[in-house]
Amino acid sequence: MSNYFDALSVLILFSSFILMANKRIKSYIKTFRIQSLLIALAAGIMGIKGSFEEGRIDILVVCLLIVVLKVIFIPNLLNKTYANIEYKVEKDFILNIPILILMCCALVVFTYFSLSTIDGINAGIINTQVVNSVSVILIGLLFMISRKKAIGQIVGFLVIENGLYITALFSTHGMPFIVDVGIFIDVITAVMILGFMVFRINEKFESIDIDKLNNLRG
Amino acid sequence: MRNIVYIVVQILVIMLVSPLVNGIIRKVKAFSQKRKGAPLLQMYFDLFKLFKKNSVVSDVSSWAFKVTPYIFFSTALAAALLVPVSTIVTPQEIPGDIIMLVSVLALGRFFMMIAALDTASTFGGMGSSREAMISSLIEPSILVSLFTVGLICQSTSMQQMMEAMKGTGIPLFHPVYIMVFLALFTIILAETSRIPVDDPATHLELTMVHEAMLLEYSGRHLALMELGAAIKQLVFITVLVNLIFPHDQLIAITGISAVVLSLFLYLMKVIFISIAIAFAEVFTVKFRFFSIPNLAALSFILSFLGFLQYFVLGGSNV
Repeated sequence: MSNYFDALSVLILFSSFILMANKRIKSYIKTFRIQSLLIALAAGIMGIKGSFEEGRIDILVVCLLIVVLKVIFIPNLLNKTYANIEYKVEKDFILNIPILILMCCALVVFTYFSLSTIDGINAGIINTQVVNSVSVILIGLLFMISRKKAIGQIVGFLVIENGLYITALFSTHGMPFIVDVGIFIDVITAVMILGFMVFRINEKFESIDIDKLNNLRG
Repeated sequence: MRNIVYIVVQILVIMLVSPLVNGIIRKVKAFSQKRKGAPLLQMYFDLFKLFKKNSVVSDVSSWAFKVTPYIFFSTALAAALLVPVSTIVTPQEIPGDIIMLVSVLALGRFFMMIAALDTASTFGGMGSSREAMISSLIEPSILVSLFTVGLICQSTSMQQMMEAMKGTGIPLFHPVYIMVFLALFTIILAETSRIPVDDPATHLELTMVHEAMLLEYSGRHLALMELGAAIKQLVFITVLVNLIFPHDQLIAITGISAVVLSLFLYLMKVIFISIAIAFAEVFTVKFRFFSIPNLAALSFILSFLGFLQYFVLGGSNV
């Protein structure tokens, strides 16, 4: 069984690599949708297993929430925000893509070595799933600082959240329900506020390039 | 005796099936555009016709131009001999491993680039410079992905790797092999001049890579070059299907019928992968030439991630 989770975790990691290699904002959103779908799949498998073995259905509810929110609602919201922006320049990364991808790879190696030195119950045992999901968090951070446009940074934020969720899922096999729901509500609020901010930035400066915010400095 | 049977089966299967792969890919693409398309066996007819014709050689060309089709074709065949199509028909020992496979193919490609430069046509030089760039970008990921499988199987010989892969259950559910599969699939697209890298159906001078190098060839030489390219494509497909989708452990019978069944299953797998390649061609657009490093970086990272997963999983318990 853990073999499926290994395979899913590596696919989720790879989807964040694809995200890093993407050039267009439309394809960021599409890749984010695919990544969320993979996470929903992992949560679904774990939920079915949990409902049979322990009789708890909360992971299945969380899986449903992921499908509704991260696969359908948030990408559609981002697409709508992007469609409303008049000033569309696609190329917005600061380094070229092969270098960014190699940096991501270095992040994975770094995670692997840093997790091998942690203490605790799992000390000395390196879990593939945890290594892969912690790497997703770090890649999300790198994605956030490598893109100049606001929508790219929102997607980076969402990827960090995805990484946190699967780290929790793979290391605890299902967090308490109330924690999961709390995080989701946080994310939705954050994305809605950020989407609104993008709209406002676009209105004020006729661009969503955050470098232009420096104009405000005296 | 065993060696002779192996060589005969290998060469016959590879040479007969390789034009079919192109036929299937073209047919699927034609269906996707709501055309009927050329018949499945069109490439056989083309090759048959070309082999009957004389070839025209430019006066300004040197020996390199004339000798290249034979070298390219024979290196492709030599590479085909290193990759068994079925683990039931095997020789005593294959004198060569995956490093040999990559270097033999590189030798053929080197001569193809030299010949394209030889006639001093503008397209030839452009095509060979592009081919040099693409091949140098893709080669690391071929080596790393094959070495990853080799590390797990404790061997670099293709035959022993395929033997070892028979005992792994369904490799596609395994994190290492998923990555290797995706990497090899990308490599096939790049190496056999398929759409994200090069468009095989066009002769537009701005985009062509492989076709640009063959422009000066005609008749028998052209047939050898095209058959060689088709063989090379089938060699990569064989590496992919026999490593990731091993089939010989399913066969319980022995004797001649087992060989026939094994070859039939092999053919089914090749057809499946051809259709997958055709779908990849239909659903992607051709990249700008300077975007190809991104694709190459992605495929290298895929194979490297597979390599890393092997160590994360702890090596021995894979």
